[in-house]
Amino acid sequence: MRKRGKRARQAKALLLFGLILTLVLILIVSTVGRQEFNAPHKLALEVIGTAQIGVTRLSAYFGGIWQDYRALINVREENRKLREEIRAHKAAATQYREAVATNVRLGKLLELKETLPPPTLTARIIGKDPSLWFKTVIIDRGSSDGVEKGMPVVTVEGIVGQVMNTSPHYAKILLANDPNSAVDVIVQKNRIQGIIKGDGTDFILHYVLRNSEVSEGDLVVTSGLGGVFPKGLPVGRVARVVHSPRGMFQAITVEPAADFAQLEHVLIIMKKSSLAE
Amino acid sequence: MLISVFFAIGALFLVLQTTLFHQLPGWIGSPDLLFLLIVFVALHLDLFKGAVIALLLGLIMDIFAGIFLGVYPLTYLLLFFLLKLILRHLALTDLIHQVVLALAGFLFASGVIYITVAVLAPESPPAWSWATMLLQMLILAVVCIPFFHLLQSLPALLAERRDKPFLSFKRRSGNRFRG
Repeated sequence: MRKRGKRARQAKALLLFGLILTLVLILIVSTVGRQEFNAPHKLALEVIGTAQIGVTRLSAYFGGIWQDYRALINVREENRKLREEIRAHKAAATQYREAVATNVRLGKLLELKETLPPPTLTARIIGKDPSLWFKTVIIDRGSSDGVEKGMPVVTVEGIVGQVMNTSPHYAKILLANDPNSAVDVIVQKNRIQGIIKGDGTDFILHYVLRNSEVSEGDLVVTSGLGGVFPKGLPVGRVARVVHSPRGMFQAITVEPAADFAQLEHVLIIMKKSSLAE
Repeated sequence: MLISVFFAIGALFLVLQTTLFHQLPGWIGSPDLLFLLIVFVALHLDLFKGAVIALLLGLIMDIFAGIFLGVYPLTYLLLFFLLKLILRHLALTDLIHQVVLALAGFLFASGVIYITVAVLAPESPPAWSWATMLLQMLILAVVCIPFFHLLQSLPALLAERRDKPFLSFKRRSGNRFRG
């Protein structure tokens, strides 16, 4: 009797194990095959994304308190310095006021000339890739805000990356400094074309011929040819050029215009791109 | 119960690793707590429960890290089974031996990720840096001992909890003067 009960328990356990294994295999096969987030992925991103928002806000709050405390130290000395600075700034302000008025007038004229930019959406970075191997971030905007796979992401300084995956309220961004990212670019001064790829920290400018004139400090901007980023967005500045004795191309390192370590807010350009296709 | 507890702990570690740890100064580094949790699970849990936890943690890690879905479940499962295989043949009960095992496991997991990504995207393989690896291993070695100590108290805590009802009320006797 006891033996029969034991066997039945074993059979039940085996059945349960087999069922779970089958479900897991189905999940893995469907996930790996399509390389897209399925419902459990999206659900997990939604739940953990919410937790990430909470922790980010909490850390910002306590960080603010800590900064306030630190600001109190040596406040008298700082106050004296600030008064001196105010005096200097007041003198400069009268000059700047005139310059600003001129700038506003010219800016309005320029706005009339420019066509309307594509719609953009501001997003906040709530989580960063914890691994040593990949460069991705999670933002607090998702498919319910109109964010789609392949949309370019930028900051005021320059390009940031592209949307990789979305859930209703969150999205994953592949940063431009990831080795798997590639952006079509040109050197601004002489329109030499190349492809920027990430190396984890900086960019590497590929396919620039040996006889092309590229020097340190040259500004690199998007070419608009890849169909992802609009033309003319800053990418970075040439940091190092190596003319190797062999091969057709130069080895060019580009320092990114955007500071990937300090990213907080980004702009998503709401247009469909080739990655989505 | 144990699976859901470890899954919740893993999710909490993931949230910390993706948010707070990035705000720490660079020289402190960010320990991979999720990886240590897998090692701990391999050391202390049975094959079935451990494999399920490793797989689940791999699946959620896939969402927040990496660009190829499936890399982390594969890596964590392989790591788990390798550790189980080693533990079947070697009696690694000392904490210091377990630290060495964790470091060896980290190298193995990194190797699996590197090879998998290199196979999936041969045109842009990830950059392998021994300096980064050694720094991460040093951080793991430092964090490993207090981490394992902390988690070792968890199964006992859960077993104790299981014996007791979730909320216990003291039944009062009819006589209010008897206390």
